[in-house]
Amino acid sequence: MKQRIIYSILSITLLLVSCDSFLDIQPVGQVIPNNVEEYRALLAKAYKTVPGNRGLASLRSDEMKVSNTEWDQNAYGYLERWDDMSPLTSNVPFSWANYYQVIFTANEIINNRSTIVFTHKEEVDQLVGEAYLLRAYMHFNLVNLHGQPYTKEGALSTKSIPLRLNNDLEASVYRNTVEEVYSSICTDITNAKELLNVKEWEKKYSYRFTTYAANALSARVSLYMGNWVVAYEESMKLINNPLFNLENLTSESATLPNHYLSQEAITSLELVFNSALNKATEVSSLLYNKYQEGDYRQHLYFSEPNEEGIIKSQKGGSNEFTSTFRLAEFYLTAAEALTQLNKLEEAKELLLQLMQNRLTNELYSTEKEKLLNLSQGDLILEIAEERARELAFEGHRWFDLRRTTRPRIEKTLKVGNEDKTYILEKDDARYTIPIPNAAIQSNPNLTK
Amino acid sequence: MKKRLLFIFYILSLYSAVWAQTTNVTITGTIFSSEDNMPLIGASVYVENEELEDQDIRESTLGVITNFDGEFSITIPQNIKNLYCSYIGHETFVLPLVKGKTDYTIQLTPTAQMLDAVVVTGYQTIERRKLTAAVSNVNISEETVGAIKSIDQALAGQIAGLQVTSLSGTPGAPIKIRIRGTSSLQGTQDPLWVLDGIPLEGTDIPEHLDNDITNIKQSSIAGLNPADIDNITVLKDAAATAIYGARAANGVIVITTKNGKIGKPKVSFSTRMTYTPTLSTKRLNLLNSEEKVNLELDLLRNKYNEDNKKGGVYHILDRLDLINAYQESGYEALTDEAKAQLLHLQSQSTDWGEILFRDALNQEYNVNISGGSEKVTYYNSLGFFTEKGNVKGVQADRFNLVSKTSYRINNIVKIGASIFANRRKNKIYLTDKYGMSNPLFYSRKATPYFLPYNEDGEYNYDYDIQNNTDTDLGFNIFEERKNTSSKETINALSSIFDLELRFNDNLKITSQLGLQLDESTKEQIAEENSFTMRDIHKSSQYWDSASSSFKRFIPDGGVHKVNKNSNSQITWKALGEYRNKWNQHEFEIMAGTEIRKNWYETLFTAGYGFDKKTLTTKPVIFPDEEKARQFPLHTKTYRENAFASFFSTTSYSFRNTYTIGGSIRMDGSDLFGVDKKYRYLPLYSVSGLWRISNEPFMKSTDWIDNLAIRASYGLQGNIDKNTSPYLIGSYKVETILPDGSEDMITVNSAPNDKLRWEKTHSINAGIDFSMNNQAINLSLDYYYRKGVDLIGMQTLPLETGFYSNTINWASMTNKGIEIALSTRNITTENFSWYTNFNFAYNANKVLKEKIREDATLPSREGYSVGALFVFETAGLDEDGYILFKNKAGEKVTLKELYRLEDPQWGFPMATSDVTPDEERSFLTHKGSSEPPYTGGFINTFTYKNWELSFNLAFNFGGYVRTTPSYNITDFDKGKNTNKDILNRWTHDNKNTNLPALLAQDYRGDEFYWYMFRPDIYRNLDIWVKKLSYMRLQNLRLGYRLPEKALNKMGVSTASVALEGRNLFVAGASYKNYLDPESMGNPFSAPMPKSIILSLNLSF
Repeated sequence: MKQRIIYSILSITLLLVSCDSFLDIQPVGQVIPNNVEEYRALLAKAYKTVPGNRGLASLRSDEMKVSNTEWDQNAYGYLERWDDMSPLTSNVPFSWANYYQVIFTANEIINNRSTIVFTHKEEVDQLVGEAYLLRAYMHFNLVNLHGQPYTKEGALSTKSIPLRLNNDLEASVYRNTVEEVYSSICTDITNAKELLNVKEWEKKYSYRFTTYAANALSARVSLYMGNWVVAYEESMKLINNPLFNLENLTSESATLPNHYLSQEAITSLELVFNSALNKATEVSSLLYNKYQEGDYRQHLYFSEPNEEGIIKSQKGGSNEFTSTFRLAEFYLTAAEALTQLNKLEEAKELLLQLMQNRLTNELYSTEKEKLLNLSQGDLILEIAEERARELAFEGHRWFDLRRTTRPRIEKTLKVGNEDKTYILEKDDARYTIPIPNAAIQSNPNLTK
Repeated sequence: MKKRLLFIFYILSLYSAVWAQTTNVTITGTIFSSEDNMPLIGASVYVENEELEDQDIRESTLGVITNFDGEFSITIPQNIKNLYCSYIGHETFVLPLVKGKTDYTIQLTPTAQMLDAVVVTGYQTIERRKLTAAVSNVNISEETVGAIKSIDQALAGQIAGLQVTSLSGTPGAPIKIRIRGTSSLQGTQDPLWVLDGIPLEGTDIPEHLDNDITNIKQSSIAGLNPADIDNITVLKDAAATAIYGARAANGVIVITTKNGKIGKPKVSFSTRMTYTPTLSTKRLNLLNSEEKVNLELDLLRNKYNEDNKKGGVYHILDRLDLINAYQESGYEALTDEAKAQLLHLQSQSTDWGEILFRDALNQEYNVNISGGSEKVTYYNSLGFFTEKGNVKGVQADRFNLVSKTSYRINNIVKIGASIFANRRKNKIYLTDKYGMSNPLFYSRKATPYFLPYNEDGEYNYDYDIQNNTDTDLGFNIFEERKNTSSKETINALSSIFDLELRFNDNLKITSQLGLQLDESTKEQIAEENSFTMRDIHKSSQYWDSASSSFKRFIPDGGVHKVNKNSNSQITWKALGEYRNKWNQHEFEIMAGTEIRKNWYETLFTAGYGFDKKTLTTKPVIFPDEEKARQFPLHTKTYRENAFASFFSTTSYSFRNTYTIGGSIRMDGSDLFGVDKKYRYLPLYSVSGLWRISNEPFMKSTDWIDNLAIRASYGLQGNIDKNTSPYLIGSYKVETILPDGSEDMITVNSAPNDKLRWEKTHSINAGIDFSMNNQAINLSLDYYYRKGVDLIGMQTLPLETGFYSNTINWASMTNKGIEIALSTRNITTENFSWYTNFNFAYNANKVLKEKIREDATLPSREGYSVGALFVFETAGLDEDGYILFKNKAGEKVTLKELYRLEDPQWGFPMATSDVTPDEERSFLTHKGSSEPPYTGGFINTFTYKNWELSFNLAFNFGGYVRTTPSYNITDFDKGKNTNKDILNRWTHDNKNTNLPALLAQDYRGDEFYWYMFRPDIYRNLDIWVKKLSYMRLQNLRLGYRLPEKALNKMGVSTASVALEGRNLFVAGASYKNYLDPESMGNPFSAPMPKSIILSLNLSF
C-alpha cells in the first residue's frame, strides 16, 4: 500500500511539472511589460496621467478670476480667495495621486532598465531618460505647488513633499525638505541628459521628452533656484536651435504660440486649461490692462469683452493647447538670467527679438526706446511684466509670483450680489498650497 | 462468471470456497420489484456476516448479484437459515430458506420517502452508510417540488442551510442562492453547479441587479429543463466539497439527470398550463389624481423647489401666466379658466397598473422516451416552455433537447454519451436612461392624471420624466414599447462522454469529457421615434465652430446594437478507484486528475441611422476621437483560462461502524502573472463517522434504525486573480495630442508579492437519527467556518501611486445550526401524511475589516457582513425637521449633530468640522440584510389516488434598506409617489414621524447639507424595514387516474394536478411594496402568483 501511495505521489508530481506549460496562457489585452515597445506604452499612459494643475494654481494669482456662477464658484472659488481652511465637497482639489502614479511608472522603468528587451539600445536609453526627466518634472511641479519657494529665505530646510525614488509599497512615506527635492530633481535631469537621444518627435507625439526638453527643464529649474548661469546657458541652447522659432504674431497666418503645432513648441505635454477650467475662468482686468494697444497678443489670446465686460481666454479648453515648454519662455528666462548677471545689453537684445514678433511696428519702436533706458532693477520688473503678458494662461503666473517677490495681492470679488475684498499679504504663508486632504487622509505622516 | 460483472452497488467478494465440514447447497431465484413487476438487476443476495460467524465459517462475506433477468445463483453452506436480498431504493428482504426448496421468486418493495442508499458527489458515488459529510438531497419530481419553472426554484425551502432569494419575478430572472452564509468579502459567493459530474460555467449571478428588467443576465442553470432532472444533491461541508477545490468554497450543487432503465420503451408526456393574473399595483399606495393635484397646488403656493418647473399644475398655470398671482394670492386669484382646467386635471385618471400589466397564460410541454436492454440504455426528451410576463411584450421561451445513451461494450468497458441542448429566447423592449420603460418603475413614477393617448389616439408625451430640470424630451411608454426592442437568443449545448473500465470488483477506472458552449446574441433596436433615440441624438450634440451652430453627429434614424457573448469550456477528468475488504475492514481509495480550459468572448457592434424596413445604417462622422469613444461602434473582448487539478479521496471503515475519510485536492490555474508558488494550494479535509446503532450494545433498541455521529474538518481556499507580484497592465488606445492615438498600458493594480491564499477552516458536526422504520428521520448539523487571510482592499498612501491594493487582512466567521426533520405521521392503507421540516440559523460575523479612512459608513467588525447602519432618529422638531439621537442620547438637529457653521462667503453652503471618524460614530447598527433564520415546511397528504401537498418557505430576522418614500430637498413635482407624502409634517399635521419638505431659504445650512449628502437621509432608520416573511411556495392537489381503466386505453399511468404558486406571503409589514423580497429595489418585479394545471401521462 505504501508503495502505491509513493507511486501515485510521484506520478502526480510528474504531471504537475508537465502541466505548467498547459497553464501558461498569455491573456489577450493584458501584459506584463517586457520589451521596449511595451514599456513605451506604459510610459505613454504615464504622460497621459500628468495633471495640468499649474492652471489650477494660476487661479490664486492675479491673472484671472472665477466666473460668478454658483457652480464655478463652488468648484474653484476657494482658490481665488486663497481659502484653504474651509474646504467644500464641491471644490476641485489639486491632484496628488496622479503625480505619484506618473512617478510610480517612471520608477518602474528606471528600476527595470537593465532587463528591458530591446533591438536598439538607444531606444531603451531614450525611454529611461524620459522616465528620469518625467520623475524630475513631477517632483518639480509638486514642490512648487506644495513646498515653499526655493528662493525664499530659510525655505531650503522646510518640509515640502515626499520624494518617491522607489516603488516600495510597504515603506512609510514622509515629506522631504525643499533642498532634498531640488537636489533629486537636478540629479534626475543629469541622468536624463546622459540617456536622452531623440531630438524631435512626430508632431502628434511631441508630448514626449526630447534632449531639448532636458535643456528646457534644466533652464526652468535653474531659474527657480536662481542659478543664473545655468539658466542662461540652457536657454541659449534652445534659442540658438534651428528646430524652434518664435511665432510671428504680426503675421496673419500665425499660430497661437501655445498650440502644439506652433513652431515654438518644444514639449507639448500639459493641458493646463481643460474645458471645464477654461469655462469657469475669466481674464482679470489686472492682466488685461498690462497689454497696450498694438500688442497682438491682446486680441489673439483673449476674446473681446462681451456685454457684461467678461473677457475669456482663447488659449485653452481643447487639447490643441497642450504646452509644457515653448521657445518664448526661454527668451524671457535667458533675459532674466542675463539681467541678474548684469549683462543688460544682451538681455535687452533678447527681449527685443521677442517683442518684434509680438507688437506692431509703432508700438515696438516706442517700447524699444523705453527698454533701452531701463536700469537693472527696472529691467527685472519689466521682464516679470513681459512674462505675465507672454505666458498668460499657461500656468506660469503663480509660480513666477512665488519665486520672485511674493507680492501683496488684493482682490475685490463679487460674491452673490455684494463686493468683498480679499487680501493675500506679502510673503503670505498661503503662497504655499496645502497638501490635499485626500492625501493626508490616506497618509497621516504627511502632517509630520 | 458473467453475472458477477454486472451493475455492482455493493462490493462483494465471492470466493469459491471450500467448506471442510459442511455440505453446500445451490440456491437459485429471481428478484422482481413489486412496483412494476420488472426484474431487478444488480440486486444483492447475501448471507449475513453474523450468521457466517455463528456457523464458524471463515469467509467474511458470501454473496452474489442478480443478472439482467434478475436471476441469481448462490452456493451456500447447508445450515444457513436466511438469505438477504437488497436493492437501492427498496426495503431489504429476508428470505427464510425452506429445506429442500432451491428456487425462489422474490419481490422487493420500494421504500417510500426514505433516504437513498447512495449519494452522488459528482466525482464518486458514496454509499450513505459510509457518508461522513454534510450532504442533502432533493428528488426532483412534481410531487416534491411542484411545478417549477427552473431548477434553482426547486431548492427554495427544501434544504436546511440553503437560502434562496428571488431577485426578480421577471421571466428568466436568476435566483440568488447562498449555502451556509457568505464566506468571502470579495469574489463570487455563488455555489458551484455540477451537471452529471461536469462543473458548469456561467452560473455566477451579478452582485448588483438593480435595475431594469432588460439587462437581467441569465445563468446557464436557466437552460436546464426541470423535467429532465432526477435529483439534486447539495454538498455543504468541507468533507464533501474539498474534492472540488477552490471553486467549492460556497458549496456545491450536484444535478443528476434522468437515465434510461432496462425494460421496454417507456414514453412519458406532461403538459402544464399556467395562469398568472395581472399584477395589482394597489399595494403601492400611490397618489390619485385628486391628491396629486392638491399636493402640487400646495407646493407651488409655498414656493417649494422652484427650479423644478414640472407637474401638470405648473404647466397649466404657467401656460395661463398665473404662477405669480397664485403664489401671492392663492387659489382665489385664479381665473375661471384655470380653475376649470385644474378640475379637469383632477378628474383625469390613468390606472397605470391596469394598462401596463396583463394576465398571462403560459404553456409547457415535455415528452420523453426511455428504456434499454442489457447492452444499451437510452433517455431522450424534448421540452418546450413559453412564459409570458405580466408585462406586455415580455416573453421567455425555452426549447430543450436531451439525449443520453449508455453502451456496454463488453464485460469491462462501458461508454456513455449525453447531449443537452437548449435554445432560449427572451423578448423585451429597451430600457431608457432613467429606467422609465420598466413598467414597474414607471407605474410608480407616472403622474396619475397623465393620459398616454389623446382623443385622436395619438401619443401624448410626458416631458417631466427626465431627472434634473430638463424638460426637452418627451416620453410615452407605449411608444417606447412599440418602437424599441431587445431580443436575446441563447443557444446552449453541453455534451458529456463517459468511459468506465471495470477490471474486477476492486478496481475501476472512469473518465469523463465534458463540453459546454453557451452562446447568446442580444439584438437591441430603438427606432427614431423613441425617447431612447431622442436622448441619444441629444447627447451627440456639439458646438461646431465652423458654422457657429450646434450640430449632432449621430445621423437621423434609429440604432441597432448587437451584443454577442460566447462562453465555452472543456473539462476532462480521469480517476481510478480501488476498494477492498478484509474481514471487517473496508478500504477505499480514489485518485484522479482533471484539466479544464475555458474561453469567454464578447462582441459588440452598433449601427446608427438604422432603418427597420431597409435594414440599412448610415455612417457616423465623429467630430473628434473623444466623441467617438463615447459612442463605440465595435468592441471585442477575449479571455482564456486553463486549470489543472489532482485529487484523491480515501476512506476506511471498520465493522461498518467506524468510518474515517479524507480528501485532498490541488488546483493549478493559469493565474496570469501570479507567482508560481501560488499555483497549487492543497485543499483537504478529514472526516469521521460513528454509527452508534451498529454497536452491539444498541442491538436491543431495535426501534432505532440509525444513529450516527459525523464530524469533519477541512480547509477551503481562494486566491485573488487580480493581484500579481508583477506589474500587469491592460492595453487601451488613447490620445494626448489631437490625432495622436496610440497604444497605452494602464496599470491594473499595485503589484503585490506578499499576497497569500485566502483560507477558510470549516468544522462540521452532525447527528443522523432515524427510528420506527424511518417514521422519523432527523439530521442535526452544527458548523463553524472561519475565514482567515481573507482577501480584501486596504487603502494605500497616495504617494505609492495607488489608492488601494488587495491584501490578506480580513477575517470572518459563519456559524450555524441546521435541522432537517422528515416524519411519516400517518400511514394507513388509504391515507398517508408526510412532513418535511427544515430550519437553519446562520450567524455571520466579520472579525476584522479595514475601511477607508474617509468612509462614511462604520466598519462591519463585530457585525454581519450584511450589516445595515442607520442614523437613529428621535422624531421631528418644531419645524418638521428630523431630530437625531446623538451618542449621549440627546435629541439634536442635523446642524447640531454635524456642528454646521454658517456659510462664510455668502454662498449657501455650510461647513462642518466633523471628521469621517466621528461621523461614523453617528451611525448605529440596525441589523443584517442577511436573514439569520431560514427554512421550509412541507406537508404531503395522500388519500387513495389523491395527493395534497404544500410547501412553506420562510426567512426571518433580516432587514432591508428601502428607497425613501420621497426626497425632502428635491421633491420632483413631475412624478408620482406613495401616500407617505400626504402624511409628512406640515403645520396642520404635526403628529407624524415623516419629515417636512425642506425649503431652500429656511435653515439653509441644513438644507444644503441634506442636499450634498443625500446618504444621510437615505440612511435614516425610518427607511430600514424588517424583512421577515413566510411564503406559500406551492399548494398542490393531484389525482392519479385508476390504472385499470387506463390500461384498456394503452396508458400505463396518468395524473392531473392543480397547483397554486406564491398564493400568499405573510410576515412583517411591507406596506407600500408589492412583495417583501422586492422592497430593496423599486425596479424589481415581485414573484408572480400563478395557478397551474398539469397533466402527466406515461405509456
